[in-house]
Amino acid sequence: MTTAAPLLEARDLARHYVVSRGLFRPKGLVRALDGVSFTLHAGRTLAVVGESGCGKSTLARQVTMIEAPSGGTLWLDGQDVAGADALRRRRLRTRVQMVFQNPYASLNPRKTVGALLEEPLAIQGAAPAARREAGLAMLARVGLRLEHYRRYPHMFSGGQRQRIAVARALMLHPALVVADEPVSALDVSIQAQVLNLLMDLQQSLGIAYLFISHNLQVVRHIADDVLVMYLGHVVEHGPKPQVFARPAHPYTRALLASTPALRPAQRRVRIPLTGELPSPLDPPSGCAFHGRCPHAIARCTIEVPELAPLGGVAVACHRAAELND
Amino acid sequence: MTTAPLLEIDGLHVAFGTRERPLVAVDDVSLAVMPGEIVGIVGESGSGKSVTALALMGLVDFPGRVSARRMTFAGHDLRDLSATRRRALVGKDLAMIFQDPLASLDPCYTVAHQLMETLAVHGTPEERSSRAIRRARALALLEQVEIPDAAARLDAYPHQLSGGMAQRVMIAIAIACRPRLLIADEPTTALDVTVQAQVLDLLVRLRRERGMALVLITHDLAVVAETAQRVVVMYAGEPVETGPVPAIFDAPAHPYTQALLAALPENNEDHARLRAIPGVVPGLHARPVGCRLAPRCAYAVPRCRVEAPALAGPPERAVRCHFPLDATGAPTGSWQAERVGAADEAKAP
Repeated sequence: MTTAAPLLEARDLARHYVVSRGLFRPKGLVRALDGVSFTLHAGRTLAVVGESGCGKSTLARQVTMIEAPSGGTLWLDGQDVAGADALRRRRLRTRVQMVFQNPYASLNPRKTVGALLEEPLAIQGAAPAARREAGLAMLARVGLRLEHYRRYPHMFSGGQRQRIAVARALMLHPALVVADEPVSALDVSIQAQVLNLLMDLQQSLGIAYLFISHNLQVVRHIADDVLVMYLGHVVEHGPKPQVFARPAHPYTRALLASTPALRPAQRRVRIPLTGELPSPLDPPSGCAFHGRCPHAIARCTIEVPELAPLGGVAVACHRAAELND
Repeated sequence: MTTAPLLEIDGLHVAFGTRERPLVAVDDVSLAVMPGEIVGIVGESGSGKSVTALALMGLVDFPGRVSARRMTFAGHDLRDLSATRRRALVGKDLAMIFQDPLASLDPCYTVAHQLMETLAVHGTPEERSSRAIRRARALALLEQVEIPDAAARLDAYPHQLSGGMAQRVMIAIAIACRPRLLIADEPTTALDVTVQAQVLDLLVRLRRERGMALVLITHDLAVVAETAQRVVVMYAGEPVETGPVPAIFDAPAHPYTQALLAALPENNEDHARLRAIPGVVPGLHARPVGCRLAPRCAYAVPRCRVEAPALAGPPERAVRCHFPLDATGAPTGSWQAERVGAADEAKAP
């Protein structure tokens, strides 16, 4: 698996936004994404975790080509996305599709399910009969019934809508689906149904997922690799078993310790994290996490830690080696 | 326990719609909360957990209709309280925080103004008479809920606060008059995990320090497992099971509780298909005749589809099921016989 060329490769991907801070103040620069690198192979799931404001959704916008990155490179199917001309980019876009968090907002209420499913094909110039056939086949594939084809989104429950959103994302047979918190808006019993659907589809179609979530229990279940982000930076990146069994970065540990557990035996000692994510407009010097880190030393306030390999994962922490003895 | 419950509800019923065609949001909810106790109410959307809380606070407006056999809080009958008496109680002894803190705070007023307003209405005589005392108290409250740089935050407007910070301000307002019971409706759902942990720790600490009782409404079973002492599980407007933590999670007696726990990723093998509950929670219009879970229940037999079970058992461990599950998770009573009987009937020509 790993010997094949990766489906998606990001190297030093960055996205900065210039923001106005008022009429007479100089413009600010938000480094929403700063030097993010990873690879994703076909049929695998890379989970991106982190709190709001860490750059998860910005990453999704770069990967889905909704925005062009400010720096770094992104290869999809071995092709440089930034260097692609309009025609090739249009073709590349069909390879990546997205499923959004809120199925109540992501489906056009004025279109029937059929029209929603056929729309991507219509844009790509497929014939009406072929579109309809593909739409009906996809509807069955995600566990909906044929009579649903002519209904409108408001006639469905949240879980069914998310199935429709998944079906629509799959209409062009993408190699990669970016799922941005796909089950956060759903109830527990429905969440399980949608996660099962995503896993079944991956198995039968060999899709890769870039799975963005703040729910670590869901990530632990579905992911192959995990990318932990903090304020636009990757702080830890590695295979899921290692990241969950031996979290190497203090932030990953705090995240895991903060996640409530059902059984007392699964609970970890809470790591008291004070404060909240600092403002991305005014990020701290050195390591972005030093203000909340229980292990911060003087060096952390000055020098930005680089992502370095440590026991099977990559960690960006000056003290990772001594903390993980 | 010999002390009287702080809050006692029996047979709470909330309906919307017309009298001819009522839409029952909450049906037959009974709940007792002891002073200083944390009771969790869990359920999916549409289970009626939030409407229960709103009914307690007297916040169900027309056309909603609230009725109960008994609804008392600290000796006051909440059912026929006059508006004036209710105002004296709610916000002072009985307080509530909501899911979205930024929607609950008034965007036009500063944090200090909103905190001081509560004190001006419900505070001690000194607090009501002096603005300076109120402001000093407001500052002390912000410090108590661990808002960093509290003095500077006093004059902030809600839009200048982060979600976690705004929820802390909401908690500060709620505890300003030392309530005896705090109802928290999904207090951490909109927050990030590290902030959620901070806010839950804060609520537990406040309860310990002040002996405040807490009703924690949430859809997150793990949050309840970590915080509450007793849990009420609700489904489609009814409580289906109530019991102490962790017993209710170790050996659920209702098939819904069991299925809900089984659907969680942490209770399933890595990468395996999750044991999802088929179907969806029935809406207000489409409640089944018999047991409301019957269409989704793995153990349903013909009786479940026609006869609605009643909440049975002692109040501290009650179950609404014809065949409550035993410690091994298997249905009890005449389940085996009824299932075999039904199978035979189906086979008969």
